[in-house]
Formats: sequence, C-alpha cells, structure tokens
Amino acid sequence: MYRVYRYRIAWVPLLGLAGSFLLALAAPPIHAQTAREIIDRVDRLLRGESSRGRVTMEITTEHWSRSLEMEVWSLGVDHSLVRVEAPAREAGTATLKAGQEVWNYLPRVDRTIKVPPSLMMGSWMGSHFTNDDLVKESRIVDDYDFEIAFEGEREGVDVWEFVLTPHPEAPVVWGRVEEQVRKADLMPTWIRYHDDDGKLVRTMTFSGYQTMGGRLVPATMLVIPADKPDELTSLTYHKLEFDIALDESFFSLRNLRSRR
Amino acid sequence: MRALILLKLAARSVGRNARRSALTAAAMVFGLALLILSRTLAEGAHEQWIESAVRMGTGHVAIQAPGYLESSDLDDRLGAAESARAISAIETVLTDELVAWAPRLSVNGLASSAASALPVRIEGVDPTRERAFSDIEDKVQEGRYLEPGDRLHAYVGIELARRLDLKVGSRFVLTAQSASGDIEGQLVRVSGIFRTFIPEVDQALVHIPIETAREWLRTPGAASTLALLLRGARETDRAVEALRGELAAEPNVRVLGWREASAELDAALRIDDYGDYVFHSILFAIVALAVLNAVMMSVLGRRREFGVLQALGLTGAETGMIVFGEGIFLTAVSGAVGVVAGFILTWGFFRNGLDLSRLVDSEAAFAGAGGIIDPVIIPVFHTDQILLSVYFILIIGALSATYPAWRASKLDVAEAMKFEQ
Amino acid sequence: MSRDAIWWRVAWRSLWRNRLRTLITASGLAFGFLAAVIMVGLTDGMVTELVNNGTRLIIGQAQVHADDFLPERSMHRTIGGYDGTDVEALIARMESNPNVAAVAPRVYGGGLLSSGDETQAGLLMGIDPRREPEVTTLLLNVSAGRPPVAGANEILVGAAMADQLGLELGAEVVVVAPAVDGSMGNDLFTLVGTFETGTPALDANYAILALPDLQLLMALDEERIHEVAVAFVQASETALSSASLAETLSDGPPVRVSPWTELRPELAEMIALMDGANFLIVVIIFAMAIFGVANTMLLGTFERRHEFALVRALGTTPLGVWRTVVYEGIILGLMSLLGGALITWPILVWWHNFPPDLTSLISGFSMSGSQWRPILRVEYSLMAPLVSAIALFLTSILAALYPAWKATRIPPADALADR
Repeated sequence: MYRVYRYRIAWVPLLGLAGSFLLALAAPPIHAQTAREIIDRVDRLLRGESSRGRVTMEITTEHWSRSLEMEVWSLGVDHSLVRVEAPAREAGTATLKAGQEVWNYLPRVDRTIKVPPSLMMGSWMGSHFTNDDLVKESRIVDDYDFEIAFEGEREGVDVWEFVLTPHPEAPVVWGRVEEQVRKADLMPTWIRYHDDDGKLVRTMTFSGYQTMGGRLVPATMLVIPADKPDELTSLTYHKLEFDIALDESFFSLRNLRSRR
Repeated sequence: MRALILLKLAARSVGRNARRSALTAAAMVFGLALLILSRTLAEGAHEQWIESAVRMGTGHVAIQAPGYLESSDLDDRLGAAESARAISAIETVLTDELVAWAPRLSVNGLASSAASALPVRIEGVDPTRERAFSDIEDKVQEGRYLEPGDRLHAYVGIELARRLDLKVGSRFVLTAQSASGDIEGQLVRVSGIFRTFIPEVDQALVHIPIETAREWLRTPGAASTLALLLRGARETDRAVEALRGELAAEPNVRVLGWREASAELDAALRIDDYGDYVFHSILFAIVALAVLNAVMMSVLGRRREFGVLQALGLTGAETGMIVFGEGIFLTAVSGAVGVVAGFILTWGFFRNGLDLSRLVDSEAAFAGAGGIIDPVIIPVFHTDQILLSVYFILIIGALSATYPAWRASKLDVAEAMKFEQ
Repeated sequence: MSRDAIWWRVAWRSLWRNRLRTLITASGLAFGFLAAVIMVGLTDGMVTELVNNGTRLIIGQAQVHADDFLPERSMHRTIGGYDGTDVEALIARMESNPNVAAVAPRVYGGGLLSSGDETQAGLLMGIDPRREPEVTTLLLNVSAGRPPVAGANEILVGAAMADQLGLELGAEVVVVAPAVDGSMGNDLFTLVGTFETGTPALDANYAILALPDLQLLMALDEERIHEVAVAFVQASETALSSASLAETLSDGPPVRVSPWTELRPELAEMIALMDGANFLIVVIIFAMAIFGVANTMLLGTFERRHEFALVRALGTTPLGVWRTVVYEGIILGLMSLLGGALITWPILVWWHNFPPDLTSLISGFSMSGSQWRPILRVEYSLMAPLVSAIALFLTSILAALYPAWKATRIPPADALADR
C-alpha cells in the first residue's frame, strides 16, 4: 500500500533558492524601516521575475556520484523548465512545472509523463536539496522570525549572523536556521539548518560571488548533510540572465519536448 | 385412564433403574453441554474476529460518498451537508445497537521532517470517538493518543518515527493536495508513537485531529467515512437497511455493511463458516451415536422385563408406549439438565473468555506477543443457536426411543420369559 | 498357557454371541476414531491452507537478503554488496539444502508507471518466470494474458492498476525508476498480462517484470539481486528450515534468512491463534468420542451383571470375570479400531487428494480468486490416529472393567436375585 517511492522531480528554478536567501535577510533592528523596504523590494522583484541560466550540479552520495549540466528557465515561483544538457545519455530529459502540474519528458523513449504532485518525494533530482527548499521560498518571510545573533568580523569580513526561528504553526521542518550574510554586499555565506532539538542537519555554503545578468550572485552553492559528511551536492551557475522576455506561454509541453 | 397408568409406569421405571437411566441420560446431557459449549465459543470467536477486523477498518457499517471505497480519494467525500444528514440519520435510526461511531477524513500525502520524507496515509479523527472505536490507543509506545482540544498533534507509527527521526514532541510537516487542488503543508507535532506490528500501518498511518485536517484540506465539516460499531455483527443487516431507508433521498451518501466494505474479510469468514459446519456436523454425529448406543444398550437387557409387562396384561402397543414414554421422559429431563449443564460449563469456565494464546504451540511463536489480535474468546449466547442444539437432542432422544419401543411391542411373551434379562 | 487360551476363546465367543451389543460398542469406537482423525486432519489442513495462502502467494516461506537490506529495502543493498554475487551459484547452494524445495530470485524497484495522462506509483518486481512458479502462486493469478518473458520489455500489472491507467493488453507503458547510478531509468514496456489476487495491496501497486529487464532499467549488473524467495519441503517447519538454510549460506556473502513469521507477524499470530482454536475443537470432539465409548461400555457391562453372577455361581473367580471383560475389550477394541481405520483411510486419502473446492459457493460476490482459496483440505498426521486409537482403546477397556469389578463384589446369589 504505502511504499517508498524514490522518485525525484525538478521543481522550481535554483535561482529561486538564491533569491530566497536574499529575502531571508533582515536588516539590523536599527534599520528596521530600511529592512522592511529591502525585503519588500526583493519580494516584489522575485514575483514576475523571469530568468534563464545554465548550471552544473554535482552530487556525491554513499552509492554513486553524478554530474549534470542543466539549462533552467523560470518565471516567478509557479513556472519553471529544467532541461538536462549533459551527460549525453541523459540530454533532453526535462521537467516542466506550471502552476500545480508537473510533467517530465524522457528523451530516450520520447514520452512525456504527467506527475501528480502527491507522488513527490523528498529529494530533488537525487540531490540533497528537498522539494521543501524549492517550493517554500515564497513564504520564508512569513514563516520565520529573524534575530541578529552576531554582528562583527569573521575571518576579516564584516558579517551579520541571523537566527531564524519558525513561527509556531509554520509548516516548515526546521527547528532553527542560522545564516551568515556579508554586510558589504548582502551576500549569504552559509546557512545551517537545525532540527527541533537544535541538532545540525545540513549546511549550505555559498561562494564564487560574481556579477551575472547584471547582479551580484553566489555562483556556487554546496549542500552537505550533517550525518553523512562524505555526501554533498554542489550547484554552480555558469550563466544567468534576468528580466528576459519570457511569459507563461513559454512553459508549455511543446517546449518541454523540444531540444532548443 | 390407561394413559395415566402407563405414564406412571414409565416414570417409575425410569426411577427404579437409576443407574441405567442415569447413564442413558448422561449421554444426552454431556452431548448437549458440549454442543452448547462449542456453539457459543464458535459464535464468540466469529464475533470477535469480525469485531477486531471492523474496528481496525471501517466498522460494521460505513457511510461514505459513492466511489470512495474504490478510489480512497479525498475528492470522494461526504460534504458538510451530507455528513450532517448522515449523522442525524444515525441518531434517528439507531439506538442501543450502536456502540460507537467515528468520523474520519482521509488523504494520501507526504510526511517530511528535517531528516527525511515518506508517503503516508493521513486520517483526521475525532479523538474521543476514535478511542471508543478502535484500539489504536492501546498500541501506544511513547507519549499519548490525541485528546479533544488537540490541534497540531499527530499520532504516528514507530516505523515512521524511526525513519523520520521523530520523538514525542518533534515537528514534522504533512503535505497533500487539498480539495481545491493546491498542495498544502501542515505543521504537526508528535503526540504519541504507536506500534501495531503490521509494517504497513507502522510506517504509513498518521492520525491527526479531524478539525485540523478539515482546515488544512479546506473541507469544512467533511468526512471520508463515518464508521459505525454495532453491538454485534448480527445487527449489521438491519442497521444498513434502516440507514438506507432514512438516507434514501441522498444520492451522494452510500451506506455499506462490513461484508461489502471488506470483501476479503467476508470471504475469510465464509470459509471459516464451512469449516465450522463440518466440525459441528461431526460433533452432532458423535453425540447422536452416543445417545443411540446408550439407548440400544439398555434395551438389550430388558427383554424379560418387557415380557413380564405383557404377561401382566399390557398389550404390545401399551408396552411399547411405556418404553417410548420412558424415552421421552428421559430425553426431556436430559434436555433441561443438559442446557443447565451447558450454561454452567460455558459460563463457569469461560465467562472471562477463553485465552487461546495459552493453547498455542510454540512452533508458531513469534516476536511481538499478543500484539495484534485479541486472543481471548468470549462465548456468545444466541437463543436460536441454543435452541437448535436442544431440539437436536430432543429429536435424537425421541428417535432413539422408538426402536426400543417397537421391540418392546413386538415381543413374543413366552420367548421373552425364557431370558433372565 | 492353555488356561489363558480358554479365556481368550470365552471372550471371543461372548462377543459373537451378543452380536448387537458388540456391534453397538464397536460402532462407537470405530466412529469415534474416524471423527477424531478426520477432525485433526481438517484442522491441520486449515492451518496449512492458511500458511500456504499467506505465504505462497508472493512472499514464500522464507526470504534471503543481504544482511543490511531490511528494513529499509534500499535498492543499493544487493546480496553481496555492490559487486553482487554469482546468482546461479547461490541458487545451487540453496537448492543443495535438503529442506529447500525451490527458490526464486527477485529484484525490486520503486517508480512510476505512466500511460497517456495517467501516472501511478508502482512497486516493480523483477522475477525469474521459470523459477517463480515453483515458489509462489503469484503467476497463477494471471487473469488475462501471460507472465512476462525476459528480453522483450514485457510487463504484468495488477488488475486494479491496469484499470487506473486505462490499460489494455498490448498497450504501451512508460516505466520510470531511479537507477542505482543515480540516474532516472526509463523505458517503454508492453503490457502482456494482468493479475488478480484479490489483495488490493498487490493488485493496485505491483508491476511484474522479467528480472534481467528490471536490472537493465535500474542499471544493475546481472550479479546483483535483492532477494531470493524460498519454498521449503515442509511448510510447517519454517523456523528450523530457515536456521538450516542460514547454516548452508554462512560461508558466502553476508545474508539474512527471514522466515515468513518475521516478515508477516500478524499472519503468524492469526495462525497461532487458529492453532489454539483448533486444539480446542479437537479436544471437544475427542471428549465426546471418549465419553460416548465410556458411556456405552458402562451401560453394556452393567447390563451383564446377571451373566457375571451366573458364571461366578458356576465357579469362576472374580479375576476370571475381569479377564473375560478385558480380553473382550482387547479383541473388540482391536477389531473396531481396525474397522475404523479401514473406513477412515480411504476417506482421508480421497479428501486429501480431492479436497472439495468451495469456490462455487463462496465467490458469489464479485471477487474472483480471493486470496483465501476456499478449499477444505485434510492433512495426514501420524499422531492423530495413534493417539485416538490408544485413547479410545484404553477407555473402552477401563470403562468395561469398572462395572465388572463392581458386579463381582456382590455375592452371586444376591446379584442373581437383583438385591
């Protein structure tokens, strides 16, 4: 009846992830008004935000290692298209999310299957990211309370360290999230996820800060599970464009199948 | 006048040959007592079986939306109006045959924690009603079952807790598709952890308060099933009839007896029934034979006696009637005594139930002793079953009496007198 | 010596002279024997049938896995680890164990099956179509079409799943399953059959493929399998057989042999309880049989007190009377039980080989081939006839001895005069 289905589906663009951390930033209390403005602005920026990028994902697990190169398009939080470009035997595999519906295209058999959301499993494409990460980004502001735990220098860099505590009824699995952000450019450096007992469950680190598509972004993100330190997932952006000419009609089944 | 004398003679004859009468009667008494014991235990076992099964499932009677049985989908549910109608029907139509009823809102979804995620079956329940209904509360290992007033609490199985690394008080998120088609998440915290030893249940069943489920899934007042527990399985058909009548005007409400809701259980029980028939046929046969033998044996020793009676002036027919009268008298008394003996035997030894687990052969022993099925069988007395056994004995007794009566009436008096017996 | 022989002759003659009495007594013994043996056979048969139904459908009487496979059932934990093991050699080693009747290798995966717009999650099970029927009856439940053959991308699904996906025989099914190298295995399969076991858990969730096809889909080498299902020679001795098998396999890759009682504890418990109930049933039948015999003998012997008094008057000692009674009992007992056995044996054999199939009576409702095959079976047993025979034999002798003893305590004259 109830079996473990280890099926993974690409959900929403990875950019959303980066964006979510921008959202998660709260200005220091003394700049409370400014903080709200920043958050509001970023929030409005992401809705209706269109983007396109090329990313390499490397996953190392206990049982296997893989490297994938993907082309990613996104529009807001409801629309996304991810297509695998490499390795060659998986090239053309694509996932389309439009609203609540998700489709997968399998080039090897040249078929498209519709995946009901109820069959979503925890991990996204076998990586250490979860669907949670990719779906909930719009609600981080709603779901957490922010607090500055530290303000000062770490290894020569001026940073804030925030502690995010979920609201009592927020549907999030984390008990506590800690985040370090560079003061100078508001770039996140790391995020630590803890469970309800305060135990570290996974760490996300950011690096490779560069300007892409006219914005400063961390080009590389690493996720390391705390209980299996030999495993990791890394995402590296090679190309990223924002505000491109993209509307909802782009996210169609036809585009899912095409090898453009 | 003659009849009265014959009757008196019959009665006296029975009394005078105490040992013979007692032994003959004993066969009938013992037989009847055993029959009553075995029938009541068999009834009890069946009831027990049905009850355990329906408690774990959807009760003796289930009220659902049409199509739910086949789909198990949230979309096939009783809306607020239908639920209310069904509940009022229950209250109108059923009185003391109803032991408990419980509403359930069920959906398939995902349970995610910081550690992992697993597909689960989520049941929104009314804690007070649910605990009267099923014994899932008794399976608790840590923490507690849901309480009225709980909101963000969940009762999970031990396998799920293990895989999601949950303890009592841990948070996790349930995700499912709500009535409007949107994927919604719901935070809950573990109130208690249970263990049923059934892997599918321990790893996939989650109980949350029904109001929480309704809010989360945006289905106010709705229910997937209204499960009813009756006093006994026998009440099912009548209850289903009555409810269907009351709800005839509701096309979106379907009333199901447990046989329809659980065809598997029905089939298993029917097979057991046949095994039962064979067993009882054999038992009846042995009892009949014992009675017959007893009566026949006693006849063998009474040729002289019959002869004397006829020599004294009774006709063949009258002799026969006396003998028959003895037989009937003995049978009647045995019947009465047998019923009493049967009751005493059953009630005396087994009123607290027969604990089958003590009769279990250790070859079949396993881990998780006595976790799943209640091994105690409580004998159930149904008048019609008891009467059946009594009639059987009476008929056997009467039939057995005819042969000796016939022999007595056909006697050649002179020849009979030659015998010592 | 000759004195003894006289008593035997007296006993024999006495039996024949009172044919009716002998017949009555004998019938009680014979029928009691028949009833007890048949009852034990039936109840044993019911339990065997239950074990068979519960285990022979799909799980087998025991399963062998890599020792770290259970309980998570990770697809990576194949027997012998990442390198797998020589499957044929493993099978041969298992079959060399005298308790093993047959084995069947399996591979498992979880994934999606899709046809048109419909997608269902499914448990993929790769089987060896030749070996599987020797261990399980799963393939006997094919209600349409046939089992899959290897190398042709064929698939067999449960009837309920076929319904959900709107599949007809010959239809194309997209199967997607995570592979062990992290990629998403996917391929097209052809539906060659549907099965119906009557168990929703199977009919709605399982998809059966040929083992090599599933290995290919999941990027598993041919040396990698997850499970070997086992059928033992003796269905009722699973604990011992499993231990013996574990011994046999102790010098290979680390494995765990799980008897079905560990895999399905709730079934084991139900059967254990049924065992208990059956014991009670047999006790009841037995009690009645014994009581009947005792009752008959008591009555019969009491009726003979005049006869005893007469022979006593003629000079026989009380011991002599008792000896007669005992010898009669022995002769009668042996003859009746022999007669009983002669009647019982053919009935038992007939019933065992042609058990009445109640499918016509029971599947009046729309459920073909319920998981519980409605067949009333009897099993052979050595204990039952032996114990019944001895018990009934002793009962008849003792039940005759008591009244004989009582009868000879009274002086003959008084007995003859009925005082």
